[in-house]
Amino acid sequence: MEAQGPEIRPVDAPKIATEAAAGQSAAGSSISASRRDHLLSITDSALGYMSLEDMLSELLGRIREALDVDTAAILLLDEDRGVLLARAARGLEEEVRQGVQVPLARGFAGRVAAEVRPIIIDLEHAEVVNPILRQKGIRSMLGVPLQAGGHVIGVMHIGTLALREFEEDDVTLLQLAADRAALAIDDARISEMRAVTAIMQRTLLPETLPDIPGLRFSAKYLPAGTGVKIGGDWYDVFQLNDGRLAFVVGDVVGRGILAASVMAEIRTALRAYMAQGHKLTEVVSMLNDLLVSMGRNRGATLSILALDPQAEELEAVTAGHLPPLLVEPTGPPRLLEQRPGLQVGVRSGNEYEATRHPFPVGSRLLLYTDGLIERREESIDVGLQRLTAAAATAAREPKTNLADDVYRALLDETPLADDVALLAIETLPLEGPLEITLPTRASVLAGMRRTLARWLRAAGANEDEQFDVTLSTSEAAANAIEHAYGGNESTFTILCEQESDRITVTVRDLGRWRTARPPGGGRGLPIMRELVDDVEISRGDEGTVVKLIKRLSGQT
Amino acid sequence: MIHLDIEQIDGVPIVYLKEDLDAANAATVERGLAEAIGPDALSLIVDLSSVRYLDSAGIDMLLRLSDRLDRRRNELILVVPESSQLKRLVTIVGLPDAIAIHPSLHEALAGQRSGGQS
Repeated sequence: MEAQGPEIRPVDAPKIATEAAAGQSAAGSSISASRRDHLLSITDSALGYMSLEDMLSELLGRIREALDVDTAAILLLDEDRGVLLARAARGLEEEVRQGVQVPLARGFAGRVAAEVRPIIIDLEHAEVVNPILRQKGIRSMLGVPLQAGGHVIGVMHIGTLALREFEEDDVTLLQLAADRAALAIDDARISEMRAVTAIMQRTLLPETLPDIPGLRFSAKYLPAGTGVKIGGDWYDVFQLNDGRLAFVVGDVVGRGILAASVMAEIRTALRAYMAQGHKLTEVVSMLNDLLVSMGRNRGATLSILALDPQAEELEAVTAGHLPPLLVEPTGPPRLLEQRPGLQVGVRSGNEYEATRHPFPVGSRLLLYTDGLIERREESIDVGLQRLTAAAATAAREPKTNLADDVYRALLDETPLADDVALLAIETLPLEGPLEITLPTRASVLAGMRRTLARWLRAAGANEDEQFDVTLSTSEAAANAIEHAYGGNESTFTILCEQESDRITVTVRDLGRWRTARPPGGGRGLPIMRELVDDVEISRGDEGTVVKLIKRLSGQT
Repeated sequence: MIHLDIEQIDGVPIVYLKEDLDAANAATVERGLAEAIGPDALSLIVDLSSVRYLDSAGIDMLLRLSDRLDRRRNELILVVPESSQLKRLVTIVGLPDAIAIHPSLHEALAGQRSGGQS
C-alpha cells in the first residue's frame, strides 16, 4: 500500500507549524517547562548505573508518563539484515516478546529510520507493518530516530489510544529522551561488541602456532579502528594427516558478527575436509559448494597452502585472494604465481587449480589480507609493489620476524582502515642436536617423521638411512603413545644426536607403562632391529627409554 | 570417515593411497578399503606408490584386510614400486609371502586379467 503519503507528516509540515504558532505559546511553554523538569529527572544519572535492559524500560516508562501517552517503544536497527527489531517497550510489551521486525524504509518505524526525521501518523490511514499496533487500537503515533555517531541506530516511538495531534514540544521532548537512550545504547553496544569481538578473536584464530623444529611461524591479527566490529579476516595453521602443514589466510566480505560466523564456518569446513584426506583443490571446490548451498550470500577470498617440509615444496590454491609473497634464499621477493580461482560462496561449481613451488631452507612466505596493502585512491598494484619493497628490506635481516617487519614498514604509522591478518612461515636450517616433545597422540607421528627426515638429511643421511631411522623412531614413538600412562594424554620426547657418522635417537616415554610390553608390539621391534644398527631398551621408574643407533655410510 | 581416491579398471577397484599408513589412520583406512571393494569385485588393488611411510600398524592392517578378503574369496593386491623404501620394508617383514605385490599398477592389472581367464 503506497497511499501513505498524506497521512505521514514530517513535523515541520505547515499544520503543526501553524498550531505551534497559534497562540499556545504561554500554555505550551509552561507545559514544556514542567515536562522538561520531568524529563530531566528521566535522564538523571541514576539511569547510568542500570543495565541497558532496565535502563531502556525505565526510560520508556518515564516517557509514557511525561508525555501522557499509552505506549512507548524502542526498535534497533540490524544493519546486516536491514530491519528494525523491537528491543524495549512499555504498553506494547508484546512487540518485544514477539520479536517484531520492521523492514527499513517500510511502515512507520521503517520510514522514521530511513528518512532520519521525526514523523507523526494517524494509524487509520497509514500503512503499518506491525500488526500489534492495530490490535492494540493505537490511533496516533510519533516516532523519532535514534542516532549515535552520525548514524541511525534505531527508532523510538510513542502512541496513544485516543486520536492526538502531537505538537512540536512533544517532538522536542521525545527527541531529547531518544538522544539519551541512543547514547546509552551505543555505549552498551560498544562494550558488548568489544567483549564479543575479543571472544570471537580468541576462539576463531588459532590459540597457538605450531611448534615445529626447523619451521618458524609468526602471525598477526589487527582489527581496524576501535575494534568494535569484528572483521571477517582470519588465518589458520594446522597439521595434515600426510605430514604436511596447511596454512590458510582469508577474508569474508563485510564485517560484524555475521561475517565472523561465516568465517568460523569456513574455518571448520576447511579443517574437516582436509582431515578427510581431500586434495587442496577439492577442498576449496567443496567449501565453495557448501557455502552456496547454505545460502550465506557472503563471498570470501582465501589462500590455502600446504608445506611438505621433507620435500621442501609448497602446494598453493587461491580463491580470488591476493597472492602470497615469497622470499627465497636468493633473489628478490616476489609474488607467488598461482592459477587464478574465483572467490568462494558466490556461485557453485567452481573449479580450482593448484600450483607447486620449491620452498628450500631459508625461504619465507607471507600470507596476508588486503588491509595490509590497500590504500584509498590507489591501485592494488601500487600496494603490492610497496609490499615487495618492504619485504626486500626485511629480507636483509633474516633473523627478524617477517610478519612484524612488513607490518611495521607498511602500517605502523597509518591508522587501519580495514582489518589485517598476517601469517608468515619460514624454514630454518635444522642443525645440531634436535629435541622434540610431543603429546602422546598418534596424529603427531606423520609430522614428526617429516621433521626427523629433514634433520637426518642435514646430518648427511642418504635416502635409505633417512627412511630407516625415521621409521624406527616412529615405531618407538607409536609405542610410547600406545602405552601412555593410564591411556591419558601425556608427552614423550625424541632426542636426535650426531657424533661423526653415528646417529643416536632416544625416545623417552615420560609416562609409566602399566604393562611392560615390548616396544613395537609384535612387528615393531623386529622392524627397528632390521633398519638400525642397534636398539637399546631400558625401563626405569621414570618411563621407558628406547635408544636407536645408526652408522651413516657416507654414501648417497 | 576418510576420503579415498578410487578408480575402477576392468571391474577392479583401485585405491590410490597418498598419506602415510600408520598407527594414526590404519583403522580408518581399513574401513575405507573394505568398503571400496564393493559386492561384485573379485579383488582390490591398493596402490602404495605415493605412500612415503608404512609402519607396523599399517602392515598389520594390510595383513588383516588380506585375511578378511581371503575369507570372502577376494584378493588384496598391493602395488609397491621395485626401487622404493617401502619395497625394502615389506620385504623385511615378509609381506610378499602373504599378499600379492606388483611393482606397478600395469602389472597388477595384467596379473588380474590372466588370473581371471584361467
